[in-house]
Amino acid sequence: MVKEVERAGFPIVQMCNLIPVATTVGANRMVPTISIPYPLGDPNTPKDVQWKLRYHRVGVALDALATDITEQTVFKVKI
Amino acid sequence: MKNVILYLNQFFGGVGGEDKADQEPYIVEGAIGPGLAFNAALKDAQITHTVVCGDNFMGSNTDEAVRRIMEMLKDKPMDFFIAGPAFQAGRYTVACGNICKAVMEQLGVPAVTSMNEETPGVNMFKKDMIIFKGGNSAAKMRKDVGTICKYVNKVLAGEPTGGADAEGYFPRGIRHELFLEDKRENTAAYRGVQMLIKKMNKLPYQTELVIPKKDVVPIAPAVKDLSKAVIAMLNTGGIVPVDNPDRIQSASATRWGRYDISKMDRLAKGEFKTIHAGFDPAAANEDPNVIMPIDAMRAYEKEGKIGRLHPWFYTTVGTGTTEAEASRMAKEIIPFLQEDHVDAVIMIST
Amino acid sequence: MKLSIGNFYVKDVVFGEADSFKDGILTINKQAAIDYLMGEDEHITSLDIVIARPGDDTRIVPVIETIEPRCRMDGRTLFPGVTGDLAPCGDGELKAFKGCCVTVVGGTWGSFGDGVIDMGGEGAKHTYWSKLINICMVGETDEEDERHEQQKTNHALRWGGHRFAEYLGKIAKDLEPEETEEYVFDPVLKRSPERAGLPNVAIVLQPQSQMETLGYNDLIYGWDMNRYIPSFVSPTEVLDGMMISGSFMPASSKWSTYEFQNFPTIKELFAEDGKSLNFVGVIMSNLNVALDQKERSAIMVRNIALNLGVDYCIVTEEGYGNPDADYVRCQVILEDAGIPVVGISNECTGRDGKSQPLVTLDEKLVALVSSGNVSELSELPACKTVIGCLEAMNRDGMSGSWGYDEILGKSARDDGSIIMEDNNWFCGDHISGFSVKTMVEM
Repeated sequence: MVKEVERAGFPIVQMCNLIPVATTVGANRMVPTISIPYPLGDPNTPKDVQWKLRYHRVGVALDALATDITEQTVFKVKI
Repeated sequence: MKNVILYLNQFFGGVGGEDKADQEPYIVEGAIGPGLAFNAALKDAQITHTVVCGDNFMGSNTDEAVRRIMEMLKDKPMDFFIAGPAFQAGRYTVACGNICKAVMEQLGVPAVTSMNEETPGVNMFKKDMIIFKGGNSAAKMRKDVGTICKYVNKVLAGEPTGGADAEGYFPRGIRHELFLEDKRENTAAYRGVQMLIKKMNKLPYQTELVIPKKDVVPIAPAVKDLSKAVIAMLNTGGIVPVDNPDRIQSASATRWGRYDISKMDRLAKGEFKTIHAGFDPAAANEDPNVIMPIDAMRAYEKEGKIGRLHPWFYTTVGTGTTEAEASRMAKEIIPFLQEDHVDAVIMIST
Repeated sequence: MKLSIGNFYVKDVVFGEADSFKDGILTINKQAAIDYLMGEDEHITSLDIVIARPGDDTRIVPVIETIEPRCRMDGRTLFPGVTGDLAPCGDGELKAFKGCCVTVVGGTWGSFGDGVIDMGGEGAKHTYWSKLINICMVGETDEEDERHEQQKTNHALRWGGHRFAEYLGKIAKDLEPEETEEYVFDPVLKRSPERAGLPNVAIVLQPQSQMETLGYNDLIYGWDMNRYIPSFVSPTEVLDGMMISGSFMPASSKWSTYEFQNFPTIKELFAEDGKSLNFVGVIMSNLNVALDQKERSAIMVRNIALNLGVDYCIVTEEGYGNPDADYVRCQVILEDAGIPVVGISNECTGRDGKSQPLVTLDEKLVALVSSGNVSELSELPACKTVIGCLEAMNRDGMSGSWGYDEILGKSARDDGSIIMEDNNWFCGDHISGFSVKTMVEM
């Protein structure tokens, strides 16, 4: 789906846990998530910790959309 | 005696050359032209009829040509359909691909053709049908007819066939298991060690799985000014309103939905849930924002980091969903993004 | 290290008054064996021993494990850390009964990793086990906690099976073997100078270690391989009981304990050792789930190979699905380090054959052996005899069988015939090297 959207001209960032799968499929902009059942917020942590992580990684994703790249790129996250 | 019908273009059908490429389709009884070579090579089968059509007529009026030919064929007993061989004649290869596809889809009869690898028909149709690797000129007629008939004879006799390499056709992207004769030399252990020895000695070897070249999409240019951009959110994690109004399937999905968030600052527990069957739903049901982070996006919108959030998010389910269905769903979603002048998209997958 | 395996070829297995092996006939006192096994573990609540022979019209399901009956001559236990005290493996004398295996079978309850064995008919070719006399240990346990779980540790029956293999193996203890297999593995730094010109080859094994809860994964000297990081071991250790198989991996991709004991690819490397290559040894990795753990194992495999001076590697994985990511990553990291690789695994191309064969791909993988297809459908008639419980295929979430499908119905039909995916054949894709299947473009 990511490829179809990008083919239509939209810059798109794929947020997912299994980055090698996304790379194989051919996504260009990728941001890792923390897990499969809870990509952006570990329910075993307090709400404010979850919020910080989600806010940070979504922010990295938005910045990725505004970043020029020349090859498939996995953008780094801090938390 | 099995019934085989052959398709030829205007040249091989004996009508004429380039000047007769507009020949409209017709059908005759029996074999003509290459049909005679086919009759000699087929076993317990005969060419009962031959369809002839000009390459230009088929190329410029494909739907009409196919419609007429299906009419001619539909009442004829037919066990197999063969088109060509088309060698390196570009338009002929495309015509063969089109007519074989129609015969298989509309009449349910197996259909094969043959063409040289340097023709447009190969990439257009190799995933849809068996296309034998053909020569580059009619001088290869006997060889190409022979290759086709060797395969057709096996199929008509109910014998097993040996795959793309063994039978001489272009790989279709369909991979299946094959049992080899039960002996040491055929064990995976022996094959692996021997392959290594060949690799070490720079001798040629054949890998059993050819990794295809990656199908990369050209990188879409970055958003120039994020603070003015419209961002849309997509997910394959199955986030839907609790009543799943679009009846999106929990696996092998063929449906997608779009959900209005124009009045929401976040997704509320109890209003949204996940229906994805591939993981423990507890976390997402407790807080749908862990998969569809509307709360974070609204925060960025308020701060002015982005222009605005597109007022809907789009959902389907990723587990077991085929590439073909996913592709179709994306194509259906795209017009909605274009309508709202969306600048960029975030896709969250699980 | 030098490992000598004295082989006895079993022509038939029968029950009798006393345990013995004579003229190819292995006689087992059934009640004594049952008493011993149940005596060793109170969690086994009932046990039967049933013999299934090649060609029998017999279906065995759910199969939990297969193990070759053997005994060590020096009193060391067969599987250190599992059947008895810890001790080194890889060196010494063993006796083995060939042509047969202990087959651990659930009497009623199946689990995700269990499989099917057909001894005769069309189904026989789908596993190696139809060539052996299966000494089936069919049991029930009091493991209530996991009775209705799709994932089972099957601890009692698996440990029982490994004990049974040693119990039977001891029947050969004082007998003269018919022939002896010898594996000589000299210390890496002290090999004969004649080998200096030979390419240095190592095999990278990736045994299954997917479950983060302990008890389901393959064990190395009794240690759970999920809590393990790559190390260098001797191939003779692998052949000599260092490893036992686990209970999680979908059946057709599994390496059973029998396969570790007889690892065909290791034996083929030994056959070439000193001739076309210098067999450096085994880099033992694993198959954890988290991305950073996969990367850590790949890095350590790479560095072990580089630091030993390995020139070429074979990489092989006990799994499909997310383990493919480890299989591919390991090959790429080695190729990037200047160590060319051959990979051996199975594929999963979907029932229509059109899906991507491995979960991740890389164009650097140019030499691959494919031992089978997880996704092929098998439809087979009923067998006269079922050892175990056919209903497990419908009820217990076995990989490759199901209780309901709109088009195909249930896997084990009322008349005993079955329809299932290759995934459910016990070790069916024999990635360890027994497989005589390949994959072709159809």
